[in-house]
Amino acid sequence: MPDVNPRMTLALGLIGGLIGIYLTPINPVLGPLLAALGGVCAIIWGADAIARVASYGLGTGVPSIGYMSVAIGIIGVLAGLAGGLQIGPAYAILAPLIGFVLAVILGGVVALLGKRVIGMKIPILVSCTMELAGASALSVIAFSAAIAGSYLMPAILVSVVSTGFIGLLFIMNTMAIQHPFNACLGPNENRVRTLKLAGATSFFAMTIVGILGIGSTRAWWVITVIGAIAWFISMRMFIQASEDEAASTAWSGWWPKEEGEELRGTVHEIKEED
Amino acid sequence: MDPLIMIGAVTLGGVLIGGGVHFIPVGGAPAAIATATGVGTGTAMLAAGGGMTGLITAAALTGSPLWLILAAGAVGSALMLAVTMFVGNWVYVWGVGCVPCSAKVDIDPISKYPQDKYVTPGTEGHGIPTVCFVSGVIGGLLGGMGGGLAYWAVYTALIDKLPGYFPLLQAKLAIPPAAALAGIFALGLFFVNAVIASYNIGGTIEGFHDPKFKRLPRGVFACIVASLVTGLIGVLLLKGVV
Repeated sequence: MPDVNPRMTLALGLIGGLIGIYLTPINPVLGPLLAALGGVCAIIWGADAIARVASYGLGTGVPSIGYMSVAIGIIGVLAGLAGGLQIGPAYAILAPLIGFVLAVILGGVVALLGKRVIGMKIPILVSCTMELAGASALSVIAFSAAIAGSYLMPAILVSVVSTGFIGLLFIMNTMAIQHPFNACLGPNENRVRTLKLAGATSFFAMTIVGILGIGSTRAWWVITVIGAIAWFISMRMFIQASEDEAASTAWSGWWPKEEGEELRGTVHEIKEED
Repeated sequence: MDPLIMIGAVTLGGVLIGGGVHFIPVGGAPAAIATATGVGTGTAMLAAGGGMTGLITAAALTGSPLWLILAAGAVGSALMLAVTMFVGNWVYVWGVGCVPCSAKVDIDPISKYPQDKYVTPGTEGHGIPTVCFVSGVIGGLLGGMGGGLAYWAVYTALIDKLPGYFPLLQAKLAIPPAAALAGIFALGLFFVNAVIASYNIGGTIEGFHDPKFKRLPRGVFACIVASLVTGLIGVLLLKGVV
């Protein structure tokens, strides 16, 4: 079974997310687009992290840790953005990084409590919760920056927090991060297929983020159109992968197109491919 | 407002939320197929329903005295959970066709009805019997009060500070961002504590009569520490790192 290297998704989410966020000011159209793509990278990282930790069986369902991580991410992000602004204008550039670090710290504290005080027996709980909180924080900053057109607190406060979009981002990012593994879990879970679904959910979230930005950024239609096209492609990849790995296909092949035509894949062929 | 009072209020709010979750009959996936007592969903969903309703009712009274905000939050959350449990029971009774009963006690401590005769063999009870309903309403009251307290503390602290930190905002214009910031912060606190409590009860619990309820002190301790750290981070919203 093809496996995904956790370091690869970590690098994708961390580097892609931070680059996307920090490139927001370069251009009024290209910047928010890159920020939205950064959010997509962060969500894919989060979906992989949640798949790793939830394979152990949390006892509370996959969504609960997703909701908790995005809640931690939002608390860290808002505190970090406000805090970074108040050190001085010169340090405002550090604000998203501070938000990310605060979220990772809070995630680590909660996971340590879960492990030490409550006594959960999941070896990778602490590292994965920290990764998840960080991924959630990056996805929230990136999508907020894509809506507001800037990663600084005043702009985000006016066009994301006051409008209430932050609540929508909370639920939407949670869904995008937790749904892939929640839908694909099971004994024959294939991480590549799960991440294809993560691509579909995150690009769908990006499409909605574009629509939310109508009032505040000129790039809204670019984000929406690119997000919708990418959603279509990734969703088709996911459906194709699901059909290829479905029991009826893997065991008896595709049904014949016309009468008399031979089966496209037989049991024998599939076994050889593996 | 003094940041220390805000940290204290957020911590107390978090403890009330985490403690309240222990009272709510969370049935999880087994309850969804009527093979365990409780509401057939996870803590995160119940926290979303109860917590958000409580915060909306608490926020609707923004500017009122503290006790009124706490009461509004408590009533909002408790009402939402009561409606959820009540409508859930319709499905269990008339849809699935089972008698609401608990497998954890032989006699319902509140209604004094016998329980063990009605438990279908091979299941751990079904539906939401009286004791679970009462326990759930208590949990909703506690959780909503905690959410309202955290909202009130962050809002009161922010409303003095926002115009100064963001000169673009006039004093009047600061109300929507302060309310939204406080609301999302309290919601985040709600989810963090609800999930910690959920880890503590291992995903499912019937209410205060469940043997798992004895784990309450451990869960409350974890919630104190987590809420304290959340409150410390939340001070950055007001003060900045100097």
